[in-house]
Order: sequence, then structure tokens, then C-alpha cells
Amino acid sequence: MASNVANIILILSIFFSFLSNLFFFKKKIKLSINTFNWSSIFTFTSFLLLIFYFSSSNFSISAVYENSHTLKPFFYKLSGTWGNHEGSLLLFILIVGLYGTLFTLFYNKNITFKSWVVFFQNNIYLIFLIFLIVKSNPFDLIIPTPEEGLGLNPILQDPLLVLHPPFLYLGYVGFSLTLSLVLAALVTKQLDSTWAKVSWPWVMSSWVFLTIGITLGSVWAYYELGWGGYWFWDPVENASLMPWLAGTALIHSLLVLKIKNRMQNWTALLAILTFSLSLLGTFLVRSGILNSVHAFANDPDRGIFILVIIFLITTISLLIHTFYSSNTTNYKISFFSKENFLNINNLFLLFFLFIILLGTIYPIILSALNESISIGPDYYNTILAPFAFIFLIAMSIGPILKWSQNIRLKDTYFLLIVFFVALVLSLLIIIFSKQNELILYLGLVSSLVLIFTILFEVYKIRYKINAINLSRLFSHLGVGIFILAVFLNSYFSKTKDFEIQIGETKKFDNVAIYLTNQNIFKINNYLEMRTDFEFMENNKIFTLNPSIRRYFQPDQITSETSIKPTLLSNHYLVINFPDLNSKVIGARYYYNFFIHGIWFGLILIIFGGILSVFKKRI
Amino acid sequence: MNNNVKKRLYFFLVSIITALIIGKFIFDSLKVNSVYFFSPTDLKNITEIPNGIIRIGGMVKIKSLKKKGNQYSFIVTDFKNDILVNYSGIKPNLFEEGQGAVVEGRLNTRTNLVATKILAKHDENYMPKEVADALKKTGDWKKNYGK
Repeated sequence: MASNVANIILILSIFFSFLSNLFFFKKKIKLSINTFNWSSIFTFTSFLLLIFYFSSSNFSISAVYENSHTLKPFFYKLSGTWGNHEGSLLLFILIVGLYGTLFTLFYNKNITFKSWVVFFQNNIYLIFLIFLIVKSNPFDLIIPTPEEGLGLNPILQDPLLVLHPPFLYLGYVGFSLTLSLVLAALVTKQLDSTWAKVSWPWVMSSWVFLTIGITLGSVWAYYELGWGGYWFWDPVENASLMPWLAGTALIHSLLVLKIKNRMQNWTALLAILTFSLSLLGTFLVRSGILNSVHAFANDPDRGIFILVIIFLITTISLLIHTFYSSNTTNYKISFFSKENFLNINNLFLLFFLFIILLGTIYPIILSALNESISIGPDYYNTILAPFAFIFLIAMSIGPILKWSQNIRLKDTYFLLIVFFVALVLSLLIIIFSKQNELILYLGLVSSLVLIFTILFEVYKIRYKINAINLSRLFSHLGVGIFILAVFLNSYFSKTKDFEIQIGETKKFDNVAIYLTNQNIFKINNYLEMRTDFEFMENNKIFTLNPSIRRYFQPDQITSETSIKPTLLSNHYLVINFPDLNSKVIGARYYYNFFIHGIWFGLILIIFGGILSVFKKRI
Repeated sequence: MNNNVKKRLYFFLVSIITALIIGKFIFDSLKVNSVYFFSPTDLKNITEIPNGIIRIGGMVKIKSLKKKGNQYSFIVTDFKNDILVNYSGIKPNLFEEGQGAVVEGRLNTRTNLVATKILAKHDENYMPKEVADALKKTGDWKKNYGK
């Protein structure tokens, strides 16, 4: 019964989506837009139904049975809706529709253009809707209805992970609207600065959502996985970073299009690339080709289906681009002009993207040849680092340059002073910390140059608040602080494994660790063994309570970390499942230096992005 | 040749050389950082023992796990051949006898690996893809391992 209602709604949304195409070809533009919106509403309704089935533990639905359990807290019953392949695909489609519908509500200038945008958006939407119904219907029934569900992987039962997938999808999928906007502009020959202004908030908001989504995932990995780090160059993480890099290149070329009405074709290509990479990310994560917490589907057919969809969307977009793109004229621009530095920005971002793409798919290609390898994180670190230094320097210089002019003399002097200060300050840090590492030195110099340039810019134009591009200043300052923190964190953090019993004390450097107590609690759907550690650092005492949880359904053990933030660092402690018949607890202690800087930098980047979405000027 | 053509030619040559150098840099780094995976049987059959960091995988043999302080030793098997693994450090929560495991480290001898890392798993049903493939090769794959 439950399943039938939902399936009828899904079929209605496919039907209306078809109708929208039909009306579009019959030139009934208004009807085409309306039917698309109806279809989008039906998908939304079916998603609400799925949420309802999950929250009421309706185990006749297979997706609910496989991913939920009556003992699970209500909050995680809800998040179970998108914590599985079928449900997350429905969310994906819902968001494609949502972006399309929101666009029809907010944009009313050019009706022909609008109808083309809806047409392209509707077809992206339709392809995935068909995939959903044919290959991964969330409303498939189980007969007879099971008594109890299988439960959700406990490490996904976390408040941040409730938000991580929706934000990531709002980003990934938001780029579908960017693609539709580009294709519509190509077909109607309107790819110009006016178009760029219309598209700006849509592109920026997708970019902001993607950034938030990646940040949430990173914060979650930091405290939940218990590996002490925030980024592991895991292929699944790379899958989200690639569209982010392409999207970042896109917003910078969109800027040139918006202000100087140049780089039309390039911007269009970047938009196609960004959405294709978003889809590639979905494929890598969902096909089961990678081993990861994200790999829900181990059905190879689904992988092939997604691959075909990527191929279709990318090829058709590229064909439209080839047929409709206009000839561009060559402009002569001097090296030290804003345009040229934006080109350099794009070049570097795409280079980073290429390196990450290579590292991610190289093992997959080799596995087809029956060789099994994995790429270590040093591959990314060694290649990206030297180019990142140059990138940061260019990032400091670019924004203070003028459009179509050469650099001004006073700016040159200003830059030289900033360089000098950064070189000396970094040298002092190196000398006092006794870390004689060239890479660390270069990392400090380049990030400090960026930070100082921005601070000085703010100082220079402090009275002309309207003339300041606040969003850029926030985001770029965020990048500077982020990179600075990454380098400080990787060179000044420490880790120590030890074993300890109640009453025992361990000492490392200036920290003394004392285990006072351990207790077992029963909470909802798990047993928890909680430990009480006392830490003493420079005569200050604080407690940490890492724990081990044993979940009942599924039967699984997780470690819960305990973190004490101090002014400059995090004390991070995680314990191990103790062996039976043994009172000894294995523990790992991480001293994470300046990790706050990483989160703070990311928050600034996001904040700058949000400001930019709402920016009225130009 | 006029100046313009010369200039373009130089530009072209310089870009090609830069691209080649960067390309070489990338592929060297890719090679150095590739960690190859072997099953115990692979290691038995291989002519030259790899001397860098490798990964091995299989099932952790029942009753082979021994512990002394935080020094562990256990046997990884694909039911045809065994490898003795020595490891010191923290044992991941889901690492148990009779379960699949992937271990990273250096070979001491052909049948002894000194591990630097035991790769963490995300849930109790999870079977590393490499281990599944290795077991399928020796014919000891059971349907219920994967799910």
C-alpha cells in the first residue's frame, strides 16, 4: 500500500517531466515551465513520503529495512532517508528539480531564455528520474514485511553527517543549473556579461554549498574516524574536491565575463567540466568501485548506468558548445594585468585538478589490468606543494592589479615590502621552532604574503567601505589562513601510541596523562565504555573522556574521540577496544597544532562566498 | 624568419620542455607513491621480492593473533599460503581473527612482513576488495563474505 502511493507519485513526476518536453517542442512555453514545476513538486512529495516511512520505521520498504532500526534515535531515522543509495538519489533528483523551480520563480526577464533553461534542467532531471525508477527505486517492497530493520552504519549516526550529504548535493547538483544556464545561453546566443550577472548568484550559491559540504565532511572525519587528521587524499574525498576546483576556476572566469565580457567559450567549457566532475564524483562514490564508507551500491549495473549518463550529458553539452559557440577575438593583454592573473588562476586550478584526477583514476585504470595499487598521500603533497606556493603568490598579486593595464609603480613597492616582511617573519618562525624545512619555509612565506597583502589592502581602503570587494577579501584571507594552518599543523603536530591502566601516569614532552576511571553505560542503541583521563599541561589540568561504543544493530564497535581545544592546539585522544581479560587500554594521543586555523580559514572562505551571492554591486 | 615567428617558436619550445619536465616529475612521483597490493600466494610466486612499502591482504588466521605489550603478531592467509605479520601500535577496533584485513608495511623475508599500518575498516561486513579478489583467485571465496 505504502509503496503503491509513492510509486504512483513518482510515475506522475516522470509523466509531467515528459509533458514539459512535449510542450516545449510545441512552443507552449508557459505550459512547459508549469508542468516541469509540477513534476518537481511530485518528486518533493515522494521524498517527504520516504522521510515519513523512515521516521515511522515502515520495514515493508526495502530501503527502510536495510538502513533503519526501531531502536535508532528519531533524528537518525530521518537522516537514514539520505544515508543510503536509493534515498540519496531521490534527494539528488529533488534538488535538480528544486534549482529549476527556484530559477523559474526568481527569473522573469527573457521568457525564451527561461524556457530553454527549464528544458535543459528538465532533461537532466528526467534522465536521473528514469535511472531511479528502473535501477534504484527507493520504494521497492519486501514481502513478507520484516519485523526489524538492519540498522544504519553507526559511524554515520552523527549530527554533522545528517547535514553533510544535503549540503554536498546542493553544491554538486546546483551546478546542473549552471550547466543549463550555459547551454540555454549558447543556444539563444546570449552568453555575455548580462547573462553572467543573472547566473552569478546561482553559480556562487552552488559553490558555497559545495564548500560547506566538503567542510562538514572534513570536520566529521576529524573527530569521528579517530585518525587525527582532516583530509586523507582518499579517492572519495578527491571526488568532491575535483568539482570544487573546477567550480572555483569557473567563478573566476565568470568574473571576467561579468566585468569585461570576455572568456565566453572558456566559461562555458568550465561549466560543462564542473557538472561533469560532479557526476563523476557521484559515479566514483556510488558505483562501489572504491572502497569507502560512501560506497553504498555494489551493483555494477548502477555504475554502468551512471557512467552512461555522464557520457550522454557531457557529450551533448560539448556538442552544443561546439555548434553554438561564437568566434572570439584575441586580446592583447600585458602580463601584469588583472585578466592575465585570472588566466593564471584558472591554469593553476586546472593543473591541481588534473593531478588529483590522475591520482584518483590511475589505480582504477590499473585495476582493470589486474594490478592492484593505491596512491599514497605523498603523491599529492609533493606535487601540489611547489605549485601551491606560486599559486598563492599570484593570488596575492592578482587582485591588486588593474584591468587591462600594467602594474603601477607604487603597487610594486608595496608588494616588495610585503615580501620582505613575510620572508623575515617566516625565517624567524623557522629559527625559533628549529624546524629547518624548506617546504615549511616556502609554505609560511607564500601564505603570509597573501595574508599581509589582504590586511594591507583593507588598511588602504578603510574609509571607502563601498569600494571594497568584501567577499573576495574574506575568501582570499580564508585561503591564506587555511594554507598557513595546514603547514603549521603538518609540521608541529605530534602523535603518540601508549598503553595504560587505571591509576597509571604517562608522560610525553610537557604533557602528563593519568587514567582515573572507566565505566560502562547502556544508552539507547549501544553500550558505551567511557574512560576518564586527566591531562596536565604546564600545571593546567583538564579531563578527556574518549569512549568505545558497541552498537547492537548492526553489531559494530566505534571509538569516540575526546578533544580538548586550547588557544593554539587540540589535545586529541582516542582509545582502543581492550582485549578481553586485560585491564590495559591502548590509546593514541594526537597533539594537533593550530587546527583551529584550518576551520577558521574555511569559515572565512564560506562567509566570503555567502556575501558574494547577495552582492548587488556590478 | 621574422621576429614574430621566432618569438612564437621559442615560446613553443619552452612550453614543450616545461611540460615534459613537469610530466616527468608527476609520473616519477606517481611511481614512487604507488603502493602495490599482494596476496600471500602472489608473494610466493613472485621472482623478486619487492623492497618498498607494499600492502598484503587476506584473512587473519584463527588463533594466530599474539600480543605482547603493544607488539602484535598474526598470520594473514589466503588459505593457500601464509604471511607472518609483526606490528607494533594500536589495533583497529574491527581487526579480529577470522576477518579480512589489509596490512601495509615492508617485507622482512618472503613470508614475514613488518607492518606500519593496519587499514581500518568501516563496518563489520566490509571485505576489502583486494582481499575478496585474492580469495576468489584461490577459490576460497564464500558468497556471504561480501555482504
